[in-house]
Amino acid sequence: MPDTILAPPPPPPAPEATLLDSNELVINMGPQHPSTHGVLRVILKLDGETVLGAECVIGYLHRGVEKIAENRTYQQFAPYVDRMDYVAAVSNGLGYCMAVEKLLDVEIPERAQAVRVILAEINRIASHLLWLGTHALDIGAITPVFLCFREREEALKIFEKYCGARLTTHAFRIGGLQYETHDTFEKDCLAFCDLMDEKLKEYHALLTGNRIWVNRTKGIGILNAADCKDYGVTGPVLRAAGEKWDIRKAQPYSGYEKYDFDIPTAENGDTFDRYMVRMEEVTQSCRIVRQAVEGLPAGPIKGKIGKVIKPPPGEAYVSIEAPKGELGYYVVSDGSLNPYRLRVRPPSFVNLGALDKMCRGSLVADVVAIIGTIDIVLGEVDR
Amino acid sequence: MEELLSSPYLPPLVATLLIIALFPLVAGYMVLAERKVLADLQVRLGPMRVGPYGALQPLADALKLMLKEDIIPSGADKWVFWMAPVLSTFTALSAFAVLPLSDKFYVADVNIGILFILAMSSIGALGLILGGWSSNSKYSLMGSLRAAAQMVSYEVPLGFATVTGIMCAGTLSMQGIIQAQYERGVWGAFDNYLLMLIPTVLFIIAGTAETNRAPFDLPEAESEIVAGFHTEYSGFRFALYFLAEYAAIFVISGICVTLFFGGWLRPFPNVGFLETPLNVGLPVVLFAAIALACIKGATRQIITGFKLGMFGLAGAALLLAALFAVPVINPLIVGLFWFLAKVAVLVYMFIWYRGTFPRFRYDQLMDVGWKWLIPMSLGGLIVNSIAQMLARS
Amino acid sequence: MANPINTFLLTDLLKGLWTTFKNQKPSLVVTEQYPRERPPVMERYRGAPRLNTHPETAETLCISCNLCALACPEQLIVVTSERNPETRRKDLTNFTYDTSRCMFCGLCEDACPVDALELTQDFEMATFTREGQIWDRQMLEEGPLPTEYRH
Ligand code: SF4
Ligand code: SF4
Repeated sequence: MPDTILAPPPPPPAPEATLLDSNELVINMGPQHPSTHGVLRVILKLDGETVLGAECVIGYLHRGVEKIAENRTYQQFAPYVDRMDYVAAVSNGLGYCMAVEKLLDVEIPERAQAVRVILAEINRIASHLLWLGTHALDIGAITPVFLCFREREEALKIFEKYCGARLTTHAFRIGGLQYETHDTFEKDCLAFCDLMDEKLKEYHALLTGNRIWVNRTKGIGILNAADCKDYGVTGPVLRAAGEKWDIRKAQPYSGYEKYDFDIPTAENGDTFDRYMVRMEEVTQSCRIVRQAVEGLPAGPIKGKIGKVIKPPPGEAYVSIEAPKGELGYYVVSDGSLNPYRLRVRPPSFVNLGALDKMCRGSLVADVVAIIGTIDIVLGEVDR
Repeated sequence: MEELLSSPYLPPLVATLLIIALFPLVAGYMVLAERKVLADLQVRLGPMRVGPYGALQPLADALKLMLKEDIIPSGADKWVFWMAPVLSTFTALSAFAVLPLSDKFYVADVNIGILFILAMSSIGALGLILGGWSSNSKYSLMGSLRAAAQMVSYEVPLGFATVTGIMCAGTLSMQGIIQAQYERGVWGAFDNYLLMLIPTVLFIIAGTAETNRAPFDLPEAESEIVAGFHTEYSGFRFALYFLAEYAAIFVISGICVTLFFGGWLRPFPNVGFLETPLNVGLPVVLFAAIALACIKGATRQIITGFKLGMFGLAGAALLLAALFAVPVINPLIVGLFWFLAKVAVLVYMFIWYRGTFPRFRYDQLMDVGWKWLIPMSLGGLIVNSIAQMLARS
Repeated sequence: MANPINTFLLTDLLKGLWTTFKNQKPSLVVTEQYPRERPPVMERYRGAPRLNTHPETAETLCISCNLCALACPEQLIVVTSERNPETRRKDLTNFTYDTSRCMFCGLCEDACPVDALELTQDFEMATFTREGQIWDRQMLEEGPLPTEYRH
């Protein structure tokens, strides 16, 4: 057991320690635990039910994605990025394609950009729905998860109709899009937005006002803006702490500067605020989708790009606002067919670093709420 | 033979055997009902594959649980580990002894009936505590500690609410309580100018906590401490815990019905002209409707066996409807019908909470128990005694 | 929450209860009973691979150019061919496709110049052996046998 987390240092173990000693209790939460969202292992140090420290042990889902990239051509690697944050595969694909496009210095047609924005925003909604369902499930409300999956199904249907896969979509290609939008694309997207606006009310009725939910989330896992910056935490967690930082606004990409939307923020940086921020983000994403669909320009869907992608030597870093935070792709090219080095900045991994800080002093029941509120996907944490 | 038949011990013995033999089945179907109702609340279908509409699922589950390997953790305290689920089940089932299932069908009518039930359900908590402790697992230990704290603190408001009910009825005997409600001409819950609603609601809340049901299901909070006190249990012993849990739900609902909802009395027990429509008409119509639904469901089944099964169910329901229509048999079974119907409504509410609410946190649970429920139940007791005194004088 | 009357009457909790109660309407059920009713998949669905043949002559459309094998990130396609001395073209002899390693990304389909390789809407590809996952030319052309379920 690594004792780096166990600060303050544990007292020397009493001779013949038994479970009923009043010493601290160290428990392993995970990797097989109902609410660690996959294969996260958290070593918890407890005094009764109070958490004295938490350490994450990760790597159970490590596949060496960054190394795989070095042995694949640029196009061939694109499907692999979907398998990192598989809940938000479209955003991953967008980030990777944009990084390579930056290396290549190609112009992406407007239509392709707009379709990318639409799909990425729908994916953001789908990701938030999954988060909401599992988060509520962790806190003990077992119904929202089914309702969320019901709505998420509609989002996945749009992906399936557009590109033929539901989860690991591989929707974008370097240089633009592979597929022209299907006939009912616009209608489906708008219908989905309307559906979401309506169903959000149901979620609010089930959770937002509910006193048990409020008690379980208010004041839990507080992370203020300064701590967020120290830990490099981004995304809804940062925004819930009051920092108005959203890469879609700060460094607009893929035509986000054309759309009118707000960045929801909150003040306290606790679990409830993060919940409210994400719920509001769903509404804002619907707004973006509506604007993008209405202003969808005609034109080509692929930029001027050859069949063989061979970027000039150099490096590029692109970061986008993924549902979970800032997702960065750093690609180094040596002029060959394969990337020389590829590095991902996964938001889940970085955000998970703050778990210990958020957990200290709370109760075991709060730990699952906090893990849920960070919104991690282990595929992305471990890569 | 003659002697045996006229022995005063025969009816209770038969009733006991019937309860012990039938309750596992009833519990199994309560589980099925829970799964179906939860599925309904969650826009799903629930079990559908075993039998028509999943009707044989409890049997499949029972078979699976019995055939499962029975694992005892090597660090466990073997004897305690063995005995704990037995203790839980035993106490939960023995509470049935005084439950007034109807005016004809009950094991015993002792003059301290309600005290006996409360005592038994308190001992039941011991089963959970011992089970969690003897597993020698940290999650189980946490579960059992939570169980201990929760049961002890919720026993108090439950007791106060019960006392209020008893005070209203003026007797401790279960049959006597129902008789008293008959004499007063109103269900316990609506007595004392509706003031009795306070203990009724508190009883339901505290009863939910007492039976470890959501939103108070902390001892087995799945998302936090895996499965709480029964994390290490498997196979038949796990089934026993399950049985105990559902028996406890049944018993708590039974007490609630007895104390506050008139037990086996029909609604408006003193309004004479409702006798026929409620006691004969309603059950007949209800079972006939069930039979119709079964027939309708049968036509949708593709598999012949399932189809026949559905028709069989329809036949059984029709038979029941016919039984209720026979004037000789009707008074024998109508009490049981009302009791079970009321219990079913309460059990449905238990499931409904589970499908809606998030779970309390440990310290919040204690807060609710000590800072809200206990003062309120005490207040309810005082207010009701004053009301009663004013009504008497 | 701020309103003490609401707090006392549990309005927030009743609202939640009403929401779940409304959901009981049977028409709201979304469950698909999978083996009994197979869900329709979309037209562009990327499922089981198929090697198209000419509808009339039943000859394969594949020209053995090997582009699909080169495009595949998992390198799971093996195209074997031999040169026909008369037509000076390559004739396909065998084509293996390891569905167990495939991630259905669609790159091979995109790479094929004559639309011979195609990912179809069939998604039931389970087998009892690992070898069964490796499809040869015959399997790819004729497609897997449709699964039948007994209830
Ligand atoms: S779908 Fe992708 S992984 Fe599968 S064979 Fe084609 S290119 Fe390879
Ligand atoms: S790319 Fe098409 S034509 Fe070429 S070998 Fe593959 S299947 Fe045959």
